[in-house]
Amino acid sequence: MLGSFSVGKSSLVRRFVESIFDEKYHTTIGVKVDKKVVQASGEEVTLVLWDIHGEDIYQKMRMNYLRGMSGYLLVIDGTRRQTLIDALSLNERVVKEIGPVPAVLVLNKSDLIDQWEIDDAQQAKLAKDGWKIVKTSARSGEAVEDVFLQLAKAILAT
Amino acid sequence: MASDSIFENFVSSQGYALFESTGADEFRPIGEWPPWCRTMWGAEAKDNNAIRLGEKSSFLDNFLYDAEEFWKSGKTGSVNSGNWIEADETGGSTPLEASALSLDGKHILIIRNLSSTFAEQQEWFQTARDSLLSHERLLREILKKEILLHCIVHDLSQPLSAMRGCFHLLSLEPLSPGLKKYVKSGEREAQRQEMMIRGILEAFSTDLAAQQTVNKEHTDAPDLAACAKQSVEAFETAFGDRGIKLRVDSAVKLSANWRVVGEASRLDRIFGNLLENSMRYSPKGSTVTIGVHDQGEFVLATVDDQGPGLPADVPQNQLFALFARGKSHAGKAGLGLYFCKITVERWGGTIGAETRAEGGSRFWFRLPRAGAEEKGDAASKSPEPEKHAATKHPAHAKATKGLHILVADDAELNRELVIELLERRGYTAVGVSDGKKALAALDHGHFDAVLMDEEMPHMTGVEATRAIREREKGGTKHQFIIGITGNAAFEDERRLLEAGMDAFLTKPVHMQKLYQTVELAAHKSTAPVTETSPHISVLPPTPAAPVLAPNLIVGAVANPTPTEYPAAESSTADLRAHLSQMTDGNEKLARSLVKTFLADAPKTFAQIRKAVAQKNAKKLGGAAHLLKGSIAIFGATKAVAAAQSLQNMGRSGHIRTAASALRALESEFKSLDRELRALYATDQPKKSAPRRAKSPAAARKSKPRKKP
Repeated sequence: MLGSFSVGKSSLVRRFVESIFDEKYHTTIGVKVDKKVVQASGEEVTLVLWDIHGEDIYQKMRMNYLRGMSGYLLVIDGTRRQTLIDALSLNERVVKEIGPVPAVLVLNKSDLIDQWEIDDAQQAKLAKDGWKIVKTSARSGEAVEDVFLQLAKAILAT
Repeated sequence: MASDSIFENFVSSQGYALFESTGADEFRPIGEWPPWCRTMWGAEAKDNNAIRLGEKSSFLDNFLYDAEEFWKSGKTGSVNSGNWIEADETGGSTPLEASALSLDGKHILIIRNLSSTFAEQQEWFQTARDSLLSHERLLREILKKEILLHCIVHDLSQPLSAMRGCFHLLSLEPLSPGLKKYVKSGEREAQRQEMMIRGILEAFSTDLAAQQTVNKEHTDAPDLAACAKQSVEAFETAFGDRGIKLRVDSAVKLSANWRVVGEASRLDRIFGNLLENSMRYSPKGSTVTIGVHDQGEFVLATVDDQGPGLPADVPQNQLFALFARGKSHAGKAGLGLYFCKITVERWGGTIGAETRAEGGSRFWFRLPRAGAEEKGDAASKSPEPEKHAATKHPAHAKATKGLHILVADDAELNRELVIELLERRGYTAVGVSDGKKALAALDHGHFDAVLMDEEMPHMTGVEATRAIREREKGGTKHQFIIGITGNAAFEDERRLLEAGMDAFLTKPVHMQKLYQTVELAAHKSTAPVTETSPHISVLPPTPAAPVLAPNLIVGAVANPTPTEYPAAESSTADLRAHLSQMTDGNEKLARSLVKTFLADAPKTFAQIRKAVAQKNAKKLGGAAHLLKGSIAIFGATKAVAAAQSLQNMGRSGHIRTAASALRALESEFKSLDRELRALYATDQPKKSAPRRAKSPAAARKSKPRKKP
């Protein structure tokens, strides 16, 4: 789980693993590792989920964390345009460090769509750039399961 | 052995679990397993057997790769994993941190339970990130308010711009004296409205220096002696209550011409601040005297008291600093003298203080005479009429013939406009695109004045000016240099003047101010140059603008000048009127400017887009600056604001919000582009076949040049 701070990475994991959503923002320090077994492409797959703290001026991400990574969700807060810019910047570093692996661009907080700062044109541009995009809401649960499954399938397909 | 046991128990009690690598990914615990370790890693821990930690924790599995690398390297010190949260089999979780080090050839792994400190750390990060989120929300709110403010100003100035343009067009027509009177009246009312708009901007401004930005139009130049007299009348009761006598020096001839650059109400505030200051430090029975002294092209005002002299605890150069106060703290917030300083300097003057030899202190300020710019009036009243006879008010005077001007500006559109306006005035002008070329041109020819853009590639105007002044050292020649800048803040003014410029204009260059300043150069070139050769700031009417810290610049407009940037977005009629005003009614030049803009500006915009995509702050600042200068000619307020915002981001290196600012610029730019194309389309000759309009440069090539 990669992305800026407060984009909802931990909330997505919690919703996916525990089916829980907490309205209060709890910042992540370091890494929290979770596991969930899913059925993808007819196979039973154990997803080991590394919820890595969001980057900001206080904490930079250690590239060592990415060693052995099979794929990643690049999470963006749709209501904060800057998180897209930061995510794409982070993605460049990730690709440079570990090479291309399956990834899905997650536009989170779809329940706040009226406050979004990322418009359709930008989303179309991202899709054109080759991103698989999924709009999610950790609050409502919208597409949360789906986005993890999509990533699992993409990993299995490689 | 006993001490080993004590040590191990101590380590364990502090939340540490120590392991020694036994090879084959196994680790033997050193001492007893701490309880949290048993909870987390289960059965193997019970017998203190070796354990495969990597199999127990995927995070540790990852870190052990780094640990092995470290142990193999033979390096001293340790390698750290960073924090992680380890879930246990009971559903709980524990914050941990691992370190690898070598001791006596043994490979040691230390795992620390951070539970005792983690909550505090978590709280700290939580607070910090909550603050960041609040900051982001605040920025968005500021952006919204900025947009709202500029929309309001834009809407207010839009009809005004049209009116001013129409009045100007009317004034070019042959009118009866009666009609001329009405036109003048209309222009005057439009000017009043400008003042109101400026007032709105000032009300919104939060920066003190920006609040003190003043109009440099001197149509109602205040009389310094009259202001002094009024101040004495206003303060003599307060002084009297304290047993202090207040007077204007009897040597001051009140009937003489003491008109200075400035504005009466603020001049009163300056006197008021200086008098309040002197009242605080004057002993009972003493006298405070205001003097007004003729200093040729300047007028000096003094406030002398008989108090203890300047405070010893405050260096003189800090007396006028923001929030500067003596240890006695007899004053208020420390704003009064700061206000005096920024206001006086804004008007091209200087201010200072000294302890008088006879006791007490003298606060003084010196302002340029306003009468120096007005023909006849100054000549009849000035104590030194011969120094003023050569200068003329541009609105009434004929051009000073034979001036040869060097125009250094990287923006072709601005350069061509300025050259064309100068040539229409009867001057000759040469254009260059950067500071280096300006220096080369000065090496090979004489120029009465240099119009120097502040920001140019290869060598900026400031750098070129410094180089010119360096060359002049030890000689008698003084090249008159007029800075051209898109920034009209006080600090910008100071920067240009400190670099050695004699005057400056703000973009877009207004015709009359251009003539006024250039003709000032002609006058200055006849006067001896001294160390204290005065600096003249010639600003367009500039309202105060919000000044934001670099990281707060989201949509700020450094110079949103309704007067100079009327609403080009409104209609082709408004645009036509504005262009007519900018080009002094020269339609051919206006069309040519539009055509050049339509050809060049999209390229500059593409450079901005590329710079944003590449996160190249330097290129962004340069390209946005270039585009801003071009757009300003057409008075597109919002487009200028958007370009200014991007320029600020580029210059400050804070380009986090550049993408959104780019979208704002794109929208405004497209709007302007549409309007200009519409204007251009309607300006095509109707009866003859369409012809390609000449660029100003091409137009000049086809007509004979006047010799310098």
